[in-house]
Amino acid sequence: MDPAAASPAPAPAAEEPRSDASLLDALGGEVLAVMSPVSICMALVVLLISLLSPPSSGSVAAGSPPPVTAATLVYLESPTDTPAQKFVGALLDAAVFVALVAVVTFVLVALYYYRCTGFLKNYMRFSAFFVIFSMGGAIAAAVLRRLAAPLDAPTAFLLLFNGAAVGVLSVFASAVPILVRQGYMVALAVIVAAWLSRLPEWTTWIMLVALALYDLVAVLAPRGPLRMLVELASSRDDELPALVYESRPTVGPATSSSSYASAMGSVEMQTMADSGRVGGSRYDRVEQDEDASRAVVEMRDLGRGRSNIGEMNRSSGSVLQMDNLEREVPVTPIELPSNQIGSQHAVIQIEQSEEAETAPLVSAASSNNAASDEEQRQSSSSEPLDFEMFESTRGIKLGLGDFVFYSVLVGRAAMYDLMTVYACYLAIIAGLGCTLILLSICRHALPALPISIMLGVTFYFLTRLLMEPFVVGASTNLVMF
Amino acid sequence: MTVAAGLGYALIALGPAFSLFAGVVARKPFLVLTLLSSTLFWLISLIVLSGIWRGFLPIKSGTWWAYAILIITSVALQEGTRLVFWRLYKKMEEMLDAFADRISKPRLSLTDKMLISLAGGLGHGVAHAVFFCLSLLTPAFGRATFYVERCSKMPFFLASALIALGFLVIHTFSMIIAFNAYDEKKKCDQIVVPVVHLAAAVMTLVNLAPGGCLIGTPLLLVMAALTLQYCWRVACRRLTEHQHRQLNNN
Repeated sequence: MDPAAASPAPAPAAEEPRSDASLLDALGGEVLAVMSPVSICMALVVLLISLLSPPSSGSVAAGSPPPVTAATLVYLESPTDTPAQKFVGALLDAAVFVALVAVVTFVLVALYYYRCTGFLKNYMRFSAFFVIFSMGGAIAAAVLRRLAAPLDAPTAFLLLFNGAAVGVLSVFASAVPILVRQGYMVALAVIVAAWLSRLPEWTTWIMLVALALYDLVAVLAPRGPLRMLVELASSRDDELPALVYESRPTVGPATSSSSYASAMGSVEMQTMADSGRVGGSRYDRVEQDEDASRAVVEMRDLGRGRSNIGEMNRSSGSVLQMDNLEREVPVTPIELPSNQIGSQHAVIQIEQSEEAETAPLVSAASSNNAASDEEQRQSSSSEPLDFEMFESTRGIKLGLGDFVFYSVLVGRAAMYDLMTVYACYLAIIAGLGCTLILLSICRHALPALPISIMLGVTFYFLTRLLMEPFVVGASTNLVMF
Repeated sequence: MTVAAGLGYALIALGPAFSLFAGVVARKPFLVLTLLSSTLFWLISLIVLSGIWRGFLPIKSGTWWAYAILIITSVALQEGTRLVFWRLYKKMEEMLDAFADRISKPRLSLTDKMLISLAGGLGHGVAHAVFFCLSLLTPAFGRATFYVERCSKMPFFLASALIALGFLVIHTFSMIIAFNAYDEKKKCDQIVVPVVHLAAAVMTLVNLAPGGCLIGTPLLLVMAALTLQYCWRVACRRLTEHQHRQLNNN
């Protein structure tokens, strides 16, 4: 290093590494880790929709007849109805749908309350398998047909079956690489969203708004089903019996005593450093975690022989989860008229509902433990901390239902024009960002649907009615600004 | 004209944006968030603008002065948005500095600030390219191409892609110039940015004349190059000043 002869250029380079470790690197990583899969899911759904049903806003009759689902039990939209009829019919549909979802959520809460977790988990596995195998298979067949790609039936069956089996394994087992699990979550969301986008237009919009409102009520109201579910789950320190997208790996509950692997795996404990920072901002924890995890590892060294070592961190509030439940409600077997999707699917029209999905809960990791943790926090770090069963995550969890409904909104926007797609995408991302900010302020379960869906719907109609004539008029004359 | 042509047009409009994104912005999550929020800002300003102008549409294509008024109002609104963006950025910078002090990490350095302004400008530019060019590009993936009457020598998609490219460069780098100017309170730079924007927008009016796009589009790209060069000068000057100050301090 020759400082005298060094030109100014290396000097910034020398300080670059230091500033590279600055704020800009540390912030926002977790938020982005949630926004990227949401974006990927939306992009895939838009791609699927534009591939399978070319955007034709008016011709419902030209495409395949919409599926007979629980969302169209009362009224099935046809292009010849008057707008008033469509509106009223869609309202009825949405009301029925939301009622169905609410009932199923209550059933789920009851099952969970009576500890039928085995049944729930198996049901979840079955539904994941069914979605991938049946609905995913139908979509794959449609795509193959559209691309005119040859694939024989036995191979297709084999591939589909294997794919579905791995999907089932990855959804609930803890030893699967995180990337595989995340991929399967996104795939599930894409399949369900692509299926739901085939609903008629008015029904879709009103259903989305109704679900956003239901979500708000179900998560925030004192007797809301999803709030009860989250409280139950956190009081038992168990994970939610739901399909949830995690942006970081979770370590399952360790029945054996401490293992180093689990200690290394992003164990968090909030205030090893100082107890005063309990109310600090969310970003505080990003830094503290590193200190904390080292400290915890040291603690574990000391306490190696302890029989039960868990982790108290859920309370530490550093885990901000948005949980969502995904359930399935098998509707009575309905024979669909043979459409071009043909094949075996749709003997049972599965409602990917909603109850699960609708309740994105952002739980700042079990408020229940907060009390006990407070005490422990006040006590010095040297005191042997009484750990319990742990679930260590660092990162945000977002329920699969959120993915599905965001993608349904964007998919429906894709059926009109690409401009609405971009506008709705930006609106949804903005809503998600706002929800995450709110999450860091109030540390309990928050619904992720309302803000995004409301923004998305608003931007869709604003774009369609206001912006598009303006922009298209200007740019087709090559006048831009 | 097939998928290749469609992709080609898309890359003409957005290629430099992709490389900037992949090379600079994608490495720091905070910059990606800045880009998304500035895109959102631009979208909101566009919606407000179209709300104002909705009653007057459709404009008859003969009346160029109507387009001129449209352009002047649009540029005025967008420069206003830039100011608002700057205010918000200042607030956020204070918060970030306070946070950095609290966790005893270094504050935002000059390069950090310039990176943020680059991401902001890129957001504006990408939003422009997406809404004005990409959303109309879907027919280009089909089997034919399209010519507008007034521009019979260049396919419409090519013209709009080139214009989008020009504006992308202008938006991106004028944001850096603007943020520097607001920071250092240099009046002349602060004036330069809206003037450049207005000049570029007015230049697209040339496209209204028959055969005008053959003149307007290259002129616009020249303006983009000028903006790029000016920004280069501003950034170099600022960075070397910063260097010297640091060396003097040490």
